[in-house]
Amino acid sequence: MKVKCYIQGMAAISPQSTFEGDIINMPLVRTESNRLACIEPDYKPYIPANSLRRMSRILKMGLTAALKCLAVSGVSTPGPIVTGTGKGSLQDTEKFIKEIEQYKETALNPTPFIQSTYNSVNGLIALQQQGTDYNNTFVHRGFSFENALIDSLMLLQEGYSHTLTGAFEEITPEHFYIKSRIGHWRADPVANIDLLNTNLPGTIAGEGSTFFVLGAKADANSIAALSACKLLYKPSAAQLTATLQELGSDADLIISGANGDSNHAHYYQLLQDVLPQPSIPFKHLSGEYDTAGAFALWLAASLLKAGSIPAELFPMVPQFPTDFKKIVIYNHFYGEQHTVMVVEKV
Amino acid sequence: MEELKKKLKEQIIEALNLQDTKPEDIDDNAPLFGEGLGLDSIDSLELMVLLERQYGIKVEDPREGRKILQSVQSMAEFIQSKQQPA
Repeated sequence: MKVKCYIQGMAAISPQSTFEGDIINMPLVRTESNRLACIEPDYKPYIPANSLRRMSRILKMGLTAALKCLAVSGVSTPGPIVTGTGKGSLQDTEKFIKEIEQYKETALNPTPFIQSTYNSVNGLIALQQQGTDYNNTFVHRGFSFENALIDSLMLLQEGYSHTLTGAFEEITPEHFYIKSRIGHWRADPVANIDLLNTNLPGTIAGEGSTFFVLGAKADANSIAALSACKLLYKPSAAQLTATLQELGSDADLIISGANGDSNHAHYYQLLQDVLPQPSIPFKHLSGEYDTAGAFALWLAASLLKAGSIPAELFPMVPQFPTDFKKIVIYNHFYGEQHTVMVVEKV
Repeated sequence: MEELKKKLKEQIIEALNLQDTKPEDIDDNAPLFGEGLGLDSIDSLELMVLLERQYGIKVEDPREGRKILQSVQSMAEFIQSKQQPA
């Protein structure tokens, strides 16, 4: 889809210190484990204590990132709220399922059941902001965030001035273990800065909550423009090549979803062959998860806003372009859902 | 009775995750909903689950539940009445 929209505000909670400050002064958080956990902010300034006590981790992360995003954008009433999540609240889902077994389907707590639904973050945002407009959550594995993005673009085309668009994902010890059984993660612990130096099966798990206020028109507060978003399901090499050439041949910088997983590395090799421009990775910062594309979009917009690339965050990259106006993000989720986004300087 | 009320307060704090609240902060006769602890309708369902899990008491009639969940005192009296041999 090639329709332009503008990022008017954004906020990210991630395994890096993304919630406060700017990207230029952000230190690289080095990890030694294969499960990257978010650096959680103090939620009390954002969520009333009486509501906070009931919320599980991902609900707090989702709601807080959304509220901060609205605050920095200056938009008080969000209008449409559109999100994507691959798994929703895993913590609540696991708790509810365990209790079904433990209490033999009787005496079940209502809270984890209510909060285990995918759209509970959207509901909380709407309740807290008194938003009664369009409200939708997309749950499509590696396409979840990008579907939310495309829906938002269509809403802006239909006449909405703004949308609140985001993604949220958490990894729990139990889910990490389940996915380790099917080879999603590296067998041995790997430092995040060494992830791309080693080409072995599996990668590192991650999580995050990222929100954007998207606007139909550019103004003085616009951070960056999103000018294209394309989704490809299990594409052939020829299809992927054609899409990358179409959207990225004139890009100044590539943000690659390379995650060091040798099972799917050939796609990122193809990316390098088709688009030989300077490239930076992002999975060593975020880890791998269904909606990691939202973090990549936050990264692209942050870099365009800053006008330079902080070398400390990318120790594996020898050289950076000094001037860049157009960034192409290519990512895929375990070789199935492939996404390409184009982000430009305003 | 006093022991039961103390235990009940601890169980309420844990079940509802009432951070920064101690058992001694909860008045036996203070209303649990609206004023007092300021609980809401989802909390009332959580308290019903607490009664069932911890004391094996199932409250079938919602009108009865309203009276039972008025305060810690009313909850304790209800539990005691159910625990006394007929």
